[in-house]
Amino acid sequence: MLGWFLQKRKMGKDEVPLITRRTTRSSSATAISTKNNVVESTTSTNICSPSPIDLLYGGEPIDLDVLLSNFPGRHPQIRELLQILGPLNAPMLPVFVYGGPSTGKTGILLQLFRHLNRPFVYSSCRTCYSPRILFESVLNQLSYHQKNSTNGYSSVKRCEKPSDFVNFLREALVGIVKSLKENRRKSKSSKKLERSIDGNMVYLIFDKLELVKDWDKSSTILPLLFNLDSMLNIPEVGLIFISSTPPDTFYSSMGYIEPIPLYFPTYNEDDLRQILVRNQANPKLYSSFLDVVLRPFCRITRRLDELSAVFSPLFIEYCKPLNDLAIVPNEDLKRKLFSNLQPHISLFLNETFRVLSQSSLGAERTKDGEPRGSKSKVGTCEDSDELDFHMSTSAKYLLISAFLASRNPATLDASFFDSRGGSADGRKRRRKPSEMAKGQKEAEEQELLSKGPGSFPLERLLAIFQCITSVAEDSLGEEVQEEDSLEVEGQNNPLMSDVLLQLSTLCNANFIVKGGTCPLEGSTRYRSVVSEDLALKVAKSVKFPLAKYVYRR
Amino acid sequence: MKMAASAPSRVEPSSDQENGDNSLQIQQPFFLLHKAAPDKSDRKPSRRRITSSPPSPNKPGAAKSVDDDYSGDHSHEHLRMEAFQHAWSDVEATIEGVLRSIDSGTFEAIYSWISESFSIIRTHVSSGFSEISRSFPAAVESVSRRLFTGLVLTKNMELFDDLRTFEELGRFLRSHGCHVANLSSLDFLAKNGIGGCITSLLRQFLAASVDAPDMLTLSSWYNDQVNNDTPIILIIDDLERCCGSVLSDFILLLSEWVMKIPVVLIIGVATTPDRLRSIIQSEALQCLCPFKFNLGTLAERMDAVVEAILVKQCPGFFISHKVAVFMRNHFANHGGTMSSFIRALKIACVQHFSMEPFSFVLRGLIEEDIQRSKQGLLPKAIYNCASNISPCDRNKMDEEAVQKLVPEIIQLKRLHFLWSIVVLCLYEAGKYDKLHLLDLLCEALDPEVYASRVPGSFTQETRHTKASSPNDCFTHQHNFTMRKGGFISRAMRKVRDLAESHLLSLLKKWERHTADISEIHEKVKELQHMLKFEDCQQLKKDSMEIAKIHGLQSKSNLGRVTKRVNDKAASFLAYLIEKYMQPIECVPFHEIVCFKNVKKLQMALVGDSRRRIQVDLLESHKILSCSCCRNNNILLPSMHDTSIMYSSCQEHGDLVNLHDWYHSFKRILLFPNSKRRHKLKQSPLSKKQKFTDDSEKLSEVAIQSRFCRGVTELQIAGLLRMQSKRRPDFVQRVAFGL
Repeated sequence: MLGWFLQKRKMGKDEVPLITRRTTRSSSATAISTKNNVVESTTSTNICSPSPIDLLYGGEPIDLDVLLSNFPGRHPQIRELLQILGPLNAPMLPVFVYGGPSTGKTGILLQLFRHLNRPFVYSSCRTCYSPRILFESVLNQLSYHQKNSTNGYSSVKRCEKPSDFVNFLREALVGIVKSLKENRRKSKSSKKLERSIDGNMVYLIFDKLELVKDWDKSSTILPLLFNLDSMLNIPEVGLIFISSTPPDTFYSSMGYIEPIPLYFPTYNEDDLRQILVRNQANPKLYSSFLDVVLRPFCRITRRLDELSAVFSPLFIEYCKPLNDLAIVPNEDLKRKLFSNLQPHISLFLNETFRVLSQSSLGAERTKDGEPRGSKSKVGTCEDSDELDFHMSTSAKYLLISAFLASRNPATLDASFFDSRGGSADGRKRRRKPSEMAKGQKEAEEQELLSKGPGSFPLERLLAIFQCITSVAEDSLGEEVQEEDSLEVEGQNNPLMSDVLLQLSTLCNANFIVKGGTCPLEGSTRYRSVVSEDLALKVAKSVKFPLAKYVYRR
Repeated sequence: MKMAASAPSRVEPSSDQENGDNSLQIQQPFFLLHKAAPDKSDRKPSRRRITSSPPSPNKPGAAKSVDDDYSGDHSHEHLRMEAFQHAWSDVEATIEGVLRSIDSGTFEAIYSWISESFSIIRTHVSSGFSEISRSFPAAVESVSRRLFTGLVLTKNMELFDDLRTFEELGRFLRSHGCHVANLSSLDFLAKNGIGGCITSLLRQFLAASVDAPDMLTLSSWYNDQVNNDTPIILIIDDLERCCGSVLSDFILLLSEWVMKIPVVLIIGVATTPDRLRSIIQSEALQCLCPFKFNLGTLAERMDAVVEAILVKQCPGFFISHKVAVFMRNHFANHGGTMSSFIRALKIACVQHFSMEPFSFVLRGLIEEDIQRSKQGLLPKAIYNCASNISPCDRNKMDEEAVQKLVPEIIQLKRLHFLWSIVVLCLYEAGKYDKLHLLDLLCEALDPEVYASRVPGSFTQETRHTKASSPNDCFTHQHNFTMRKGGFISRAMRKVRDLAESHLLSLLKKWERHTADISEIHEKVKELQHMLKFEDCQQLKKDSMEIAKIHGLQSKSNLGRVTKRVNDKAASFLAYLIEKYMQPIECVPFHEIVCFKNVKKLQMALVGDSRRRIQVDLLESHKILSCSCCRNNNILLPSMHDTSIMYSSCQEHGDLVNLHDWYHSFKRILLFPNSKRRHKLKQSPLSKKQKFTDDSEKLSEVAIQSRFCRGVTELQIAGLLRMQSKRRPDFVQRVAFGL
C-alpha cells in the first residue's frame, strides 16, 4: 500500500507542475489575498450567484493553535490528518478515520477544514439513509443546489444508479475544479474579490460509514465508495471516510485499494478532564467536582457524550449547597461537598450502567417542585407491587397463561393442570422423577435457561387459559357469591369469550411475540416475553397463585 | 389438554331458546362488524321483541296498539329512532366534554414543557449560526444534541382510546402555533425503514409527497416558514408497536438535526416507561431527554363518564341493575377501553329505544330537561309526540292516557334526581376509599338491596314520623342490613373514619351536590356548622388546656369531637340512602326509561363468532330456508357439502380418519336414505367396495374434489387442522362444543 501511495504522490507531483504551470503566478498571492479579504466576504456571499465558496465551512478560518486547544488530547491525530491532507493543492490518498463514538472524529475534521479553508462536501450516511439520497445529497452540494419550495424540494438531478452517480459526480467535480482554478486566476488579477479559497482541491467526506453496511444495497455501495478515487481519477479530489468501526469490517479482499487508516482512540482520563473543564464557568470548582466523580465513572464509560450527560445534573447536585458559584473551593469545602454528593454518585453510577438515566431523572424532576401534568401525583406514588397500567381481567389471565406456557415444558402441563385443579398432587408427581434423574433434570433446566422463553402453539395457550380461569373462578366463586351477588346468571365462563381479541392486543403491546408461520397450517407459535416480575405483578392483581404453577427444577 | 379431552361431550344441538332467537343471531356477527345500521338491524329485533315480550303491566293498551297494527309500527319506529338519535347525540356531547376536561390539565402541562424546552434548544443555538443550511452537523456539545421527549403514559394496554387523545393533543398544540405531525406505529415498520417515517413527516408538513424524502427538505421547509419560532412537535402515539430499530434510527437522526430543526418528541407509552429500554437501542436512549406526563387513568375517565352520563345527566334512558352489572363485568373482564364501554352503552340505548313502545315519549322528557324553566312543557311535548302517531293508534292512546302518564313521569324524574344526589354523595365519600363509581352504581341500582332495606314497615307514615323532628336524621339508626363488604357500606365506614379536614371538604362537596334540594341542603349546612362550631370550641378549649395539660388529652378530645360529627355525617348518609335512594327499577313506570334486557346486550356485545359458524354449519337449512332439505336430523345430499361434512365429522373424536370421513360423505351424497346410512356407518370399511362401483350418478372424481373443497373450507373456518406428517390420514378437529 505504501508503495502505491508513494507512486501516487509521485504522480501527484508529476501533475503539480502542470497545475502550477497554469497557476504559478497566483499560488503565493492567494495566500495573502485570503487573509485580506475575509472581512469583506460576509455581505456579498448571499447576493452573489453560487460559487465554490458555499463549500467552505463558513465563518472565519481558525488558527491551528485554536484548533489544537479546542481538541485537547487529539494533537497527534490532528497533526497526522494535516500531514495526510498535505500542503496546498497536494493530491491525497483516501483516508479512513475510525474510532469509537464521540471521540471527536467528525468535529476535528470539520474544524480542520475550517482551519485550512478548503472546500468540502459532507454527507452523513445517517441523514442520507439510502443510496439515492446519499448520491443526490453529494450532487446537490456540488452544484450549490438548495431544496426549497420554489423547486418543489427536488434534487438537482435524479440519481439512483451508482453508474449515474459516478458520471454526474465526475461532471460536477470537473466543473468545480475548473471554476476553482478560474477563481484563482481571477483573484490573482482582481484584488477586490470577496473571499478566496485555498487551493483547488475538493474533499468529499462520508461520515457514519458503518451504517451503510446495514443497507440492502451495501454490497454495491461500499465498493463504489472505496473505489471512487480510482474511478474518478481526478487528482483534485480527496476522499475521507469516517466510521466508528475499524476498516477490517469493511473491505475484506474486495479488490480495491485500502485507504489510509487513522485511528482515534478513546480518551483517557486526563483528556476527559481537560475536555470537560474546558467550557466551564468556574473551572476550579468543576475540577474539584471531577476529582470526585471522574474516576468512578470512567470505569464504566469513557464516552464523552455519556459522561457529560451524567455530569451535568450531577454537577447541579454538587453545587446545591453553594451560594456563590464563583467560589474557589478549599479542602474543607471540597470534603463537605463530596459528602453531600456521595449518595447521588452511586445512584447515577447505577443508571449509567443501565443506560437509561434520563427517564428516572425526569421522574425525579417531576417529584420535586414542578408538578407535571394534572395527575402527576398518581405517577409518583408508584407502588412497586402494583400494576401501573390498565389491563382487562381476561387479558391478565391470558398473559399469565402465556407466561406459564413459555416457562413450563409442555410435558408437565398435565400434572400442573389436572382435573383436580392440580397443585399439590401435581407437585408430588413431579418430584419423584426429578429425584430419580436429577442430573438429567438439571441439564434440562440449564437448557431451559439458555433457551429463554419457549414458544407454544395457540391451542396450548387456550387450554392453559381455560384451566387457570376455571381454577380461579372456583376459588373466587364462593367469596364472590357471599360478598356481592352482582354476578349475572347465564354467564358460564365470562372470561372465555373473546380471547383471540385479547391475544392480539397482547401481541400488539409486545408482551407476546408471534412467530411467523402460515396461518392456514394453524401452527402459529407464540412466545411470551414478559419478565417474571411483571407476570407476578399481574398474577397478584388477579390474586392468582402463579408461583404454584411455575416449573422450577 | 383438558379442554380437548372434555369438550366432545358438550357437543349438543342448540337449545330451544337459541332457535327462537335465531333471527337476531344470524345478524349478530354483522352487528359486530358493522355499525348498527338503524333501519335494518333495529327494525327486526323490535318487531320480534314486540310480539314475544309480555306487554308491560302498566300500559297494556299502548303495547297492544303496537302489536295490533303493524303499519303503525313504522311511524313509531321513525319516532323512536329520532328520539334515540336525539338522546345519543346528547350523551356523546357530554362524553366529549368530560374527556376533554380530564385531558386539558395534562395538555396544558405538556405545552408549557414544550415551550420551556424550545427555549432551551434555542439558547443552544447561538446567534449567527451559519451551519443551519449546510449538510454538516453543527459544532456543539453533545448535551445540546439531546432530544426533548415527553413520555405520555396512557396507563392502558389497549390503545384505542388514546388515539383520540393524541389527536386532540395535536389539535391543541396546533392551536398554540406549533407545527405538529402525528406519527403512528405504521410509520415505523421494519419493512419501510426510516424512509417510511420521514415520508410521512414530510407529507404532513409539506402537504405534498416528496420524491426523495430527507431531513434537508424538512429543514429548508422549516426555514421557509413564517412562524419558525415555534417548535416542531412529533407525536408518536404507540411506542409498543413501533419497530425498535427504526425508531432508534429515527431518534438518532433527529438528534443530529435538532440544532437545525427544533424537534420535540412526544411518545405515547401504553405500559411503563421501562419499556423504552427494551424497545429503543441504548445509543438512541442516550439522545433522549425524557419527561413523564400522566394522562388520566382509565378508572378516572370511567368514573367521570359514568358520573356525567348515568348519574348526573338524564339522557332519557337508564340501565337496570342487571344491565349495569353486566356492563361492569364486561368492562372489567374484556373491554379495557372507554370506547368499548360507550359502545355497550350505545347498544343498550339503541335496543331500548327500538324495543320500548313508549320510547318516543323520552324525547319529550329530554326536551323538558333542556328547558327546565318551563315546567309545563312536558305534557305538551308528550302530546305532540303522541299526536304524530298515525290516527288508528291515536284512538287507543288518547289524550287522557297521556295526561295520566305525565305526572308519573315527572315523579319518576324527581325520584331519579334524588337518587342521583345520594349516589353522588356516596361517591364523594367513597373517593377517599378509592371506590369506583360504577361499582357503587351497581349496588345503588340493586332493587333487592332496596327491598331488604325497606321492609314492610317502610311506609309513608313511618317515613313521616321519622323525618318529623329536624335533627332526627343525624341520630338516625339505619335499620337496613347492608351487604357485608358492599361498596355502600365501605363508603359509609369511610365517612366514620375520615379525618377532620377531609370531612370538611367532603361536606363542602355534599353541599354543592345537594344545592337543588333545599331540605337536604339545609341539613348538610347544619352538619358543616356543627363541625365548625365544635372546631371553634375545641380551639378555645385547646388554648385553655394547653396551659394546663399538654397534648395527650386534648388530642384525644379533639378526636372524640370529630368522631361525633363523623357519626352524625354517617348516619345522615344512611338516612339519605334510606329515604331517597330508590333504584329506578322500584319506581313505577320505570319501564319507559329503563333498559333491562341483559341477554340482548350480551348477545350484541359478545360475538362468539366461532360458535356461530358451527351452529350455522350444523343447521344450514335454517339460514338457507330452502324447501329441499327440511329434515332436521337426516343429512341430505341437497345440503351444502361443508355442512354435510361438518355434521358427519361430529361423530369422530378429535382425530378424524380422512378415509372414513370421505366414505361417509360419499354415502350421503349417493344414498340419501337415512336408514341405510346408519347401518353403513357402523362398518364403513367392510362395504367399501360395494359402493365404489355403484357411483353412476356422481363420478368419483367429482366427489373427491367436493370433499377436498369442503375440508379446505373447514380448515379456513378454523374448525380443522391439516394432517401432520406423522399421521397423514388423519385430520385434527380444532373446535369442540358450542
